[in-house]
Amino acid sequence: MITEEILKQFEEAVGPENCSADPAILNGYAFQPFHKTEPGCWIETPLAVVLPSSTEEVQAVVKICNEHKLRFKAHSTGWGAMGGPGFDNVVQIDLRRMNSILEWDEKNRFVVIEPYVCCAQIQAEAMKRGLNLNIIGAGSATSPLASCTSHCGMGWTAISTSHNARNIMGVEWVTPTGEILKLGAPGSTGKWFCADGPGPGLRGIMRGWAGADGGIGVFTKCAVKLFHWPGPRETEVKGRMMDLDVEVPENFRMMGCIFPDAESYANAAYKIGEAEIGFLMCKNAAPLLFACMAPRLLRKMTSFPNIRAAMKAIQYGFQFIIAANSKGDFEYQNKVIEKIVDENDGFIIEMNKMPIKSMMYWSFVRASVPPMVFRMSGNFFTSFGGDEAIDNATKQALIGERIKKQFIAKGAIFDDFSDNAWGGMYEHGLFSHTEELTIFDHRDLEMGKQVEDYATACMNATIEEKLGGGGFAFFAGSHVHDILGPKIGNYHIWQRKVKTALDPEDLSDSKYFIQPEKTKK
Amino acid sequence: MATQEEIKTTFKDAVDSDRFFDTDDDLKKYATGNLLEPEGLPVCAVKPKSAEEVVGVVKKAAEIDADLIPFSSGPPRFRGDTATAQESATVAVDLSDMKRIVRMDRRNKVAIVEPGVTFGELQAAAKMQHMKVLTPLLPRSTKSVIASGLEREPITVPKYHWDMTDPMLCVEVVFGTGDVFRTGGAAGPGTLEEQWASGAAQKCPLGPAQTDFLKIVQGAQGTMGIVTWASVKLELLPTIRESYFITSQKLEPLVDLLYDMTRRRLGDEILILDGFALANIIGKNNADIQSSTEKQAAWTLFYNVGGYEYYPDLRVKYQKDDIGGLARKHSLDIKREVPGMSASDMAAVIDLPGEEPYWKLRYKGAFREILFITTMDMARAHHGMMKEQAEKFDYPVGQIGVYLQPIQQGRACHLEFILPYDPDDRAETGKVHELFLSASKELADAGAFFNRPYGPWADIAYSRCPDTVAAMNKIKDIVDPDRVFNPGRICL
Amino acid sequence: MSLEDYRRDMEGCSRCSSCKWVPLNQIKSYRFAQICPSISKYNFHSFAGSGKLILGLSLIDGRIEMDEKFADIAYKCTLCGACDANCKVYRDDIDISEVIEEIRAECVNAGQYLPEHMMVIESMKKEDNVLGEPKSARGDWAEGLDLKDINTEKAEVLFHAGCRFSYDEDLRGIVRGVAMLLKNAGVDFGIAGKEESCCGGRAYEMGFRGEARQFAEDVGRRVKASGAKTVVTACSDCYSTFKYLYDRMGMSLGLKVMHITEYIDELIAGGKLKLRSNVDMKVTYHDPCHLGRRGEPFIEPWKGNKLLRFGSLKRDGRNGVYEPPRNVLRAVPGVELVEMERIREWSWCCGAGGGVWEAFPNLAEFSATERIEEAESTGADALVTACPWCERNFRDAIEKNGAKIELLDVTELVARSVEV
Repeated sequence: MITEEILKQFEEAVGPENCSADPAILNGYAFQPFHKTEPGCWIETPLAVVLPSSTEEVQAVVKICNEHKLRFKAHSTGWGAMGGPGFDNVVQIDLRRMNSILEWDEKNRFVVIEPYVCCAQIQAEAMKRGLNLNIIGAGSATSPLASCTSHCGMGWTAISTSHNARNIMGVEWVTPTGEILKLGAPGSTGKWFCADGPGPGLRGIMRGWAGADGGIGVFTKCAVKLFHWPGPRETEVKGRMMDLDVEVPENFRMMGCIFPDAESYANAAYKIGEAEIGFLMCKNAAPLLFACMAPRLLRKMTSFPNIRAAMKAIQYGFQFIIAANSKGDFEYQNKVIEKIVDENDGFIIEMNKMPIKSMMYWSFVRASVPPMVFRMSGNFFTSFGGDEAIDNATKQALIGERIKKQFIAKGAIFDDFSDNAWGGMYEHGLFSHTEELTIFDHRDLEMGKQVEDYATACMNATIEEKLGGGGFAFFAGSHVHDILGPKIGNYHIWQRKVKTALDPEDLSDSKYFIQPEKTKK
Repeated sequence: MATQEEIKTTFKDAVDSDRFFDTDDDLKKYATGNLLEPEGLPVCAVKPKSAEEVVGVVKKAAEIDADLIPFSSGPPRFRGDTATAQESATVAVDLSDMKRIVRMDRRNKVAIVEPGVTFGELQAAAKMQHMKVLTPLLPRSTKSVIASGLEREPITVPKYHWDMTDPMLCVEVVFGTGDVFRTGGAAGPGTLEEQWASGAAQKCPLGPAQTDFLKIVQGAQGTMGIVTWASVKLELLPTIRESYFITSQKLEPLVDLLYDMTRRRLGDEILILDGFALANIIGKNNADIQSSTEKQAAWTLFYNVGGYEYYPDLRVKYQKDDIGGLARKHSLDIKREVPGMSASDMAAVIDLPGEEPYWKLRYKGAFREILFITTMDMARAHHGMMKEQAEKFDYPVGQIGVYLQPIQQGRACHLEFILPYDPDDRAETGKVHELFLSASKELADAGAFFNRPYGPWADIAYSRCPDTVAAMNKIKDIVDPDRVFNPGRICL
Repeated sequence: MSLEDYRRDMEGCSRCSSCKWVPLNQIKSYRFAQICPSISKYNFHSFAGSGKLILGLSLIDGRIEMDEKFADIAYKCTLCGACDANCKVYRDDIDISEVIEEIRAECVNAGQYLPEHMMVIESMKKEDNVLGEPKSARGDWAEGLDLKDINTEKAEVLFHAGCRFSYDEDLRGIVRGVAMLLKNAGVDFGIAGKEESCCGGRAYEMGFRGEARQFAEDVGRRVKASGAKTVVTACSDCYSTFKYLYDRMGMSLGLKVMHITEYIDELIAGGKLKLRSNVDMKVTYHDPCHLGRRGEPFIEPWKGNKLLRFGSLKRDGRNGVYEPPRNVLRAVPGVELVEMERIREWSWCCGAGGGVWEAFPNLAEFSATERIEEAESTGADALVTACPWCERNFRDAIEKNGAKIELLDVTELVARSVEV
């Protein structure tokens, strides 16, 4: 339990109404069934919860934690176990009150935000300005500051909007010892147009492919890149999801591109990248779409061999949206995609005129589908996802499918036809992402226990098959670094040194980062 | 600190005998000669031919407390990042003979190169597979691809500059501990060969895991590690290409057009030069340049549009049409030539590394450059300030070359002021040095971001961000605890 | 049912925060993107819909006690149903509102109710209304209108005024206007006058289920005796109680239940009400929670694993009353309807429901103020709604904050046009 003295210090720092050690409040932060391998709903209960409203308050809280050697973990939306306490006696810093959009720079295409602004808020305002942003796979209820600084960054429109690790123009950071560090131009000029320098880029110790998930301090401001949006400034939307009714703009074309096999799929992807076309390119497995939109039907479908065969036939495909800046641009992109699909023995499903067009258009642009992935069973787990060249990413889907079949066969996870790969490519093909989703019900403890085995099998496959850098294996917790590290260039040694240098007392909860030497188990 | 004799003895054993150098003539190749403070020469130079030898050199340096400065490019050197202090125990680690192009991968549009590979060498290899190298503007012929990437020199194609690390992807780096580390997708799992067999190609520029040491060694001026190879992204050579100029007496309409073009990812190579800078590229000598300057518009925007494998003519057409529409919006005319140069010739010129002499040397034999990052809408104000400073120091305003390169897809820009001077004219040399220092300071106060803090810019830059200095020293303590790499450089 | 029966609902939360936001596809701005008054004001996660699921689960897992703080979290919530409706955009197997109601019932059973709520229950027991007013004065609002008394005469339509309209003198003109409209349209309707009693809905929301059942019985008897085929009310709370809660309690009234806006919509469509005069005004319409997402008809609970519940068999707000009030507004000549961003199933709550108005005036005011700001942002001359509780709470907030926007009931605009 927290002492009165410490609680009082927190109250003085953030205000008594923004601080609590009451069990009814604390338990609100102890429930995290998602994005972890341990079964069940609960994680550690925090020692206290504080709600700072400014960088200075965050700093004050971190300094109090340092004074009393208390661990702390900050989160924005708190979606996922990595946002909550990883150990006993962790102070939960809920950044909900830091929810301002601080600055729009429309000309130079970035926005400066605090942690609790969500992607949907930014997109709604950005579109009024003819701009858009990269929204990560988890969807538009997430915080772009969180994905830029602390977690993962593959987005639905990554083909044209990159990875959020590469969408940062400047960061303000309260380090584990309570210093305020501004990365790049903000530190020197007060402006937000460059995240690196002077000299070396300290972004390199802030995050890598993944962020530190709260293990390296607290990020309080971030300048996030914005991208040109050729769509309407305001969109009239009727309905919420399954009843969506939205007009698809004339300069947009939506399609499903289906190929006969993985090789054709990959070949087409390479050509699409070279042609530099596309606004959105995303592999959503057909079973996933059923799981979201017609979960009861999916449960029945899996028992019919003919339906299994049909699903297999359309396994290698992606959704593709063209958003053109001009008629000429539209004509060019259309002709090119048709040619590429044709050359690779694929076919196109035109979606602009389908009844499902509204959902295909707007819920993809708004990236609002992700919470539906929980619909079929209550939870899902993701694996693989280590980014690399398109061929390597494509292979991850095939290996993921092979492993899932084994676990489906023993009832450890729901049958989703075993291919539930999600991903696409970044920056017109620079590198690519495929993660394998797995549907399960964490309320079934037996099922939940087997997810850990599944995660381990995926991690082992990553190593054996040489698949892009480990991927989501890190999200099993800091202990995996000592397993993966020796296989991946001993990165764990250097990552551990960074942690030790910046957080010698290991106060920034490192459950999902790496623990420093002295607390290494 | 080791004595000079100790250093020579130790490092003679580190490499083959024909790769160890300690005569003045040899060592002068590592001098910058363009500095504000007196410069010494290294004690000796070694030319390792492999990463293993680099490791050996680094370990020896730690053992005897010698300092190492890595070099990848050949002379002449300009920016002072590799300058040797007069009293020092420095060993020049010359990687320019590590010239392997380890892999050229057309499917993944990536090459793996060693530090000694120059732009010309890589371009020749890439061209054979119909690819192009993303280059800065007219790098000198001896410039190393890796050195350029580590310095974050801006490439001339804004749409391919997605992040500050581009075009670098992964690196193999030797830290000051003698450890070898690979960044990004190159880290593994697996050897490079195993990764290739699994369809990987060292294309992921992030990580591995939750740190990213590529960003640490970039911009570090050799203080954080020695890179022994790097994967760099390549792009396709266009199958057809058209080139154009747009001129204006004012900078603003061209900047406005640049904003419009870059946000729509129109155009390939795109840059802006003032008349004097352009003349320095067109002309070969002082007289040519003077004559050309008089004929040029105040500002010139140059761009290419290209078509690739599929419907190249359609692509070129729509890009031309769209850019044309935007240009008309800003009341700008598109041209095929400027006095003394057609656009297609300009394209051919900037396709390749610069001809000798290096273009900035042509006017007067020496130059100072002030280069920094800002946003395009600030360029005019910065230019105005530069001119004021020039007037204050009685330096001819018409002799300032200006180069504006959009970066990060137009979200920021590299802005560069080139100040030629006659190195044999002591008065002019002194004046330009004073102007350089004064203008740098004023520009920094006005928001210019010296994110490549060469020489005196280090003090200017780091005095503003002590928090960054503290953090960088912590990282330095990790990767180079014995401080063998380029001590005293930047803030370390 | 008990809280344990909702274990899978509570454990099933994915912590996605959909319960805090306007449905993602409908977010139109930074400013009006949030949907839950409780967490918007109090910020700790426990105050969100998800937080209350966790609260209940913590209780039955023995992780916390039911103490004052527990009750504080459970009751600082208008039960507006936004979290429930938004969660169901994505999920079929979680009924957040039912869980919150169950938590409150457990609070009452354990004696952890709020004194302010106890006062309401006492008032209901003594005076048959939630406002502490004398029962004898309940019918005073209809004085001089010469309306049929269903205690002594039969009528096709029973008009139920509700506690708020019966006693709130500031709102008297509205309910009298409604009566005149019905007369004008030739509707055969009657009222219960001072014999009318509270619907009991507020009691249910506060967790006093036994009391709610008693009032449901009383209303049921009266309705049956009236011979009416339809019960019409101008109070959205009462509407939701009759339409949904009574059926849920197994005490269906057995006749058609309509809100006045639905009824007037039909009257206009059937030519029985003629809107003649222009009412030149730009208005924005606030969807009362109890008319919209909480006014959906009852659906039999799903038996078995709710993961298998069909989308059409979950109450997710789609079938609330949204179009009829809008039809009515569009039918008034001269009225220009401009919508707020948070409307229909994703309407922002006025702050009055669920016992909040009674126990947490600060939360009620906060919620109302937020809504008024949103209304003002549309440039509308007036904020129009269809519930006296919304009107009371908005009225108080407008007065306190000095807002300039006019506040009207839908029926007032109709009355102006019909020149009643």
